[in-house]
Amino acid sequence: MIIESSGISLVERVKEYRRYGTLFLFLAIRDIRLRYRQTFLGLLWSVLQPLVPMVIFTLVFSRLLRPETDGVPYYLFALGGLTPWMFFANSINAAGATFVQNANLLNKVYFPRAIMPAAAIAAYVLDWLIATIILSIFLTRAGYSPSLVWLCLPLIIVFAAIVAVGVGVAVASLSAVYRDVKHALPFVVQVWMYATPVVYPIKLVSKRLQWVLAMNPMTGVVEATRACLFGLGVDWPLLSISMASALLILAAATALFHKVEADLAERV
Amino acid sequence: MKTIAVQGVSKEFLFTRQRLESRNIRDLIHWRHQKPASAAPTFLALDEINFEAHAGEVIGILGRNGAGKSTLLKVLSRILRPTKGRIELNGRVGSLLEVGSGFHPELTGRENVFLNAAILGMTKREIYGKLDQIVDFAGITTHLDEPVKTYSSGMYLRLAFAVAAHIEPEILLIDEVLAVGDAEFQKKSMKRIEEIGTQRQTVLFVSHNMQAIMRLCSRALLLDRGKVVASGPVPDVVAAYLQIDGGHRGERHYPDGPYAPGSHVARLRGIRVRSCEGQTLSTVSIGEKFGIEMQFEVMSAGSTLYPTLSLYNEWGTEVFLSTDVTTEWHGRPRPAGWYTVTAWVPPNLLREGLLNVTAAIYSFQPYFIHFKESDVVSFQTVESSDGINARGNFIGYIGGVVRPLLDWTVHYEAIRTDSRAPRE
Repeated sequence: MIIESSGISLVERVKEYRRYGTLFLFLAIRDIRLRYRQTFLGLLWSVLQPLVPMVIFTLVFSRLLRPETDGVPYYLFALGGLTPWMFFANSINAAGATFVQNANLLNKVYFPRAIMPAAAIAAYVLDWLIATIILSIFLTRAGYSPSLVWLCLPLIIVFAAIVAVGVGVAVASLSAVYRDVKHALPFVVQVWMYATPVVYPIKLVSKRLQWVLAMNPMTGVVEATRACLFGLGVDWPLLSISMASALLILAAATALFHKVEADLAERV
Repeated sequence: MKTIAVQGVSKEFLFTRQRLESRNIRDLIHWRHQKPASAAPTFLALDEINFEAHAGEVIGILGRNGAGKSTLLKVLSRILRPTKGRIELNGRVGSLLEVGSGFHPELTGRENVFLNAAILGMTKREIYGKLDQIVDFAGITTHLDEPVKTYSSGMYLRLAFAVAAHIEPEILLIDEVLAVGDAEFQKKSMKRIEEIGTQRQTVLFVSHNMQAIMRLCSRALLLDRGKVVASGPVPDVVAAYLQIDGGHRGERHYPDGPYAPGSHVARLRGIRVRSCEGQTLSTVSIGEKFGIEMQFEVMSAGSTLYPTLSLYNEWGTEVFLSTDVTTEWHGRPRPAGWYTVTAWVPPNLLREGLLNVTAAIYSFQPYFIHFKESDVVSFQTVESSDGINARGNFIGYIGGVVRPLLDWTVHYEAIRTDSRAPRE
């Protein structure tokens, strides 16, 4: 392996990330084990997290605004959006803090740095899975019969995870340089949620402007989840825009991370 | 087989705190107004380092604090990136820069072993294969499934070292980790490093401990201000290490009388640290007697003068102050002339470190300071590697201002097996 001021070659980097697969797995397991250790409700929290906002939004939206949700009961509609959204919001919150929180470790041991935010995100897949199982129970009770299309959900969570890795790594890298990021993140996440059709249908926006909303990749994630759950048609052009934008974010985050990584240990 | 080739490697740090601390939004706004980076003062922690290492070599890295030893290991382990130069590594690199990094108090011993081993670069299969050995080495079998926050600090460190000692990369970097645990555990750790050295691995070993370096290493490098200043067989490099005086010196003279520190009565003319044979020293072995010699001139007769010498350690603590009570001149008025006084320091009194000498001459009745020169000379004390010393078998850091070799006595009583013994 050759190390120069620009780091190591791309081939070496890829090999290295593969070699540290064990660390990725163990970090994710650690995060899961620690998250609800010494809590009374334990994993139940991953269920409550989307359920509580679902109740609130159902009370507010379905009573006051009565949005058009393609015949889907509003509480199911909201839960279908909140489940992937909670995964994303929790993921970027956790991933974004990894570099600064582990400053000491970064100064003592070398391992491919991006493993930390990636593992933090992987740890939330379990929460998503539990929330999704609860969601499917709600669906069957409401008269939806379990369908094979639901098997697309894992693909959608991969899509969501790609978005989360892009944003999470970018946030983690930026926080290493600007501590402001930590304070700004909660607002950004809040605004981002309302910029995503999580608790309202995308049809609330006129057809001509929907592509603007789709440039937010989480729009694609949320819409695809609902299409899959309720057996609605997929708006492929919109989904493609979201996917392209997810890849763009990932590429930009990689470039940013690469820049910060050079002296990460000195910065955090 | 060549495992490490370092070619012209430099590492530069920006001296300003700005780079090291994170920026805030104000800096972002003023970004354009910032001075060009070249204007910022920098610090060259490593300056054109070149060296090679081969499989099976255990190389000691010596140097004073700030010489660049830790930076070198961090660059080799890729925690820091070199500013310049090229490093070729053939094989996996494992580093033991600090044991227990990444331990989490809420996780159990077993969970921590897994996580820590993975952080150090082991794969799942390797960890499963080594788990028993690690647990055995640490000697904590019964507590393995309890959270490490319930461990004593000794158990915690033993477990952490055990994990680290069982990574088997081709290149192993070790930075002063031997200061862990009790003497017995240290012996085990040393033995483990010796084993690693014979397993065709390359080990780079940073330590201030000459004994450990001499015992473990086949070759040594000496760093001084970021440069490799000596390299080769351990005894030669250790000797070179003891000779660099890092800016301090064991001798100072004041040839021009009028400029020498002093009063119209007495002036300081020279001071040095000397061996029993009369050689001037800048490095003193703790196990040997040495003297601090002060020469002063008395210009007008009749004053009672108290020459005093005091030693200050690197933390600025006064180790002792001494005056000439054992001489016939003590408390007597002195005639004019030149005096050479020597305070003899017995063996096995000081600890290793840097010592600064303050020389002064006082008069009482009336109280007067003729001169008081702080840090007039300084010298380094080192642990001798042979003979009896207060360190004994212990390899790690020993605290304290002094380290005298005290007489110990032991009163031993065997456990009695009568009625007072605890019931089974």
